[in-house]
Amino acid sequence: MSGALGRLLIVDDEPQIVRALTPALAAAGFSVTAAENGEAALGQLAGEPSEVVILDLGLPDMDGKEVIQRIREWSDAPIIVLSARDLESEKIAALDLGADDFVNKPVGVGELLARIRAVMRGRERRFSAQPKFQFGELEINFPARRVMIAGEEVRLTPREYQLLRILAGHAGQVVTHRQIILAVWGTETNADAQFVRVLMAQLRQKLEANPASPELLMTEPGIGYRLSCDD
Amino acid sequence: MPRLLPSPSDWIARLSTPGRYAVGLGMVALSWGAAELLHLWTGSPRLGGPFLVGVLVTSYLVGSGPGYLAAIVSFVVYNVLLANTRYSLASYTPEDVLVLLTFPTVALLMGNLTGRVRDEAKRAEARALATAVLFEGTREFSISDDPALIRARLADHLAAAAQGRAFVMAGEALYSAGGEAPAPMVLSAARALALEEGAELRTIEAAGWRVRRMTGGGAAGWRADPPLGPDEESLLQILADAGAAATARAQLAVAKAEAEARGRTEDLRNALLSSISHDLRTPLAAVLASASSLQEFGDKFDAKTRRDLTATIQEEAERLNAFVTNLLNMTRLESGALDAQNATFDLAEVVDRTRRRFERLRGQRRIVCALGEDAGVALGDPVLFEVALANVLENAVRYSPDGGEIALSSFQRDGEVVVQVTDEGPGVTAGELPRLFEKFYRGSAAKRTPGTGLGLSIVRGVMQGMGGQASAALRPDAPSGLVLSLILPAAKA
Repeated sequence: MSGALGRLLIVDDEPQIVRALTPALAAAGFSVTAAENGEAALGQLAGEPSEVVILDLGLPDMDGKEVIQRIREWSDAPIIVLSARDLESEKIAALDLGADDFVNKPVGVGELLARIRAVMRGRERRFSAQPKFQFGELEINFPARRVMIAGEEVRLTPREYQLLRILAGHAGQVVTHRQIILAVWGTETNADAQFVRVLMAQLRQKLEANPASPELLMTEPGIGYRLSCDD
Repeated sequence: MPRLLPSPSDWIARLSTPGRYAVGLGMVALSWGAAELLHLWTGSPRLGGPFLVGVLVTSYLVGSGPGYLAAIVSFVVYNVLLANTRYSLASYTPEDVLVLLTFPTVALLMGNLTGRVRDEAKRAEARALATAVLFEGTREFSISDDPALIRARLADHLAAAAQGRAFVMAGEALYSAGGEAPAPMVLSAARALALEEGAELRTIEAAGWRVRRMTGGGAAGWRADPPLGPDEESLLQILADAGAAATARAQLAVAKAEAEARGRTEDLRNALLSSISHDLRTPLAAVLASASSLQEFGDKFDAKTRRDLTATIQEEAERLNAFVTNLLNMTRLESGALDAQNATFDLAEVVDRTRRRFERLRGQRRIVCALGEDAGVALGDPVLFEVALANVLENAVRYSPDGGEIALSSFQRDGEVVVQVTDEGPGVTAGELPRLFEKFYRGSAAKRTPGTGLGLSIVRGVMQGMGGQASAALRPDAPSGLVLSLILPAAKA
């Protein structure tokens, strides 16, 4: 089954990380290639596109954020940042530049594979223009702008609906406060993370069985929110 | 400086007010003497001329006030003492009466006029001086960044411009110039003015002093002698305000520099934290990834893959241990808890053991060992020496390019044994050399390579802890690369 899921590129300057991750990713069905710096990664992607890119932010020749920017100039390949830097600002910057998800080192291969599956599914969903989103008891009918929970219709305000729509569009991935503000309030706004928190509280009241302990609309502290879709 | 009249000599200019009136009276006495001489000589009763000249000279030299005094005294002397005793009033001709009437009038007018010109000239001089001081002061203030220096110079400039005394106070600091400091009463008035609510800049008077509040805190005061005209006063206020503005600017500059220094410390701490977290998490990430891979996919892996993964776990655990050991060493060095033995040990043996530890870590780099069996016997702690050498070698491996050569050598000199590690890395600039052993310091070429900047500071700490030294030099035989020397006392054979 090796290679069945397509190519996966690991960009990391620490050879032991590549050595440790490769067997499991190959066993999961990827054909794994590695690059030890940003230039090599861009070169490899240009030569042969990958299904998924796993990227370390601390590269010897350029900042990982620059690599994200350069890839996004021409490619939509899902990018998962895998980094030991735990500055919230770094994660937000990487996500805002177009990374699909952010995973902290150290990480077990089980979680990493789950995140990889989530970003690949998210891509599929976003680019296949499906009229419906369904996960668990939640069902969204995009053309009709209708939201059902356990078969019952929930009435959402336009902003609540926009918030749910952008999270569903990136199901399983983090959406930053800034991305949410852009989608819900647009560019001409002074809305900040506090606005998002309030709106999210309203949405949880309507969708979560227990809003204080959400199971669907998850918080990524300091970064943004994620619509959980772990199977 | 433009002058309306040639300046009288300095001693006259420096006279106090009573002194200037004394000059006027002296001048009357001189006129009287001259009139007596004239009378003796010519027998003429027309003696008004000398007194008129005396009044004019007085007005010109020492100002209008003494001029008036001289005119009045001259009138009295001329009439009462001269005219009355020698020529009775009864014998006055109409001509004499005219002289008697015009003389004081002319004297007063002349005195007034020349005195005014004199005063105007003096004021113009004072104004020019104040303007020059203001110009010089603002120029000087604009190039200084030291609030204390600006306050001290402001006091000097104020005293010079007022031609009197001046002070500047800010908090507990007092700078005075041009004579003794003002009385406590003036200072407390100044302090009260400085502490006033609101931002209004106003000038108050206290015991002959003018005190002006300064922007950014404090107050400046001056006492002019003689008192200044309104123009000079406003020039002095401008000078005080310029000094205050410069002080406020300098204080802001100091605050900014402090904030920047705090920011740098903060940056350093962040860099250290992110570096330590990187150095701890990278091996942990490899361990966790390998272990979880074995757990989830162990059955699917072939034997070689499983062996590779377990080898990675072992290597990374060792690396983690080495890093933690170094952090502990650093902490021990910092707290002075380094417990160094003082033993004799065989250098070649320790060097060889350390070199073998690097066989796996060196990658594509070659470590060439040119240590003879007679490398020597050193005095120190073999375990700590190994810590130091391992750190130096780690550095050399880390910064050397693939295929680079790292040379280990040793020699003896003057009762010391020296072990040298020479690499082909990017090296540092000559300016960076002295800072290389500082904690957290990393050379400009090191930016691309992960590291904490702890290694070499540990090397120096450990070497000094056992009575040795560590030093670094640029390679004399190559454009880049470093030579690090570890020096220990040689054991006596």
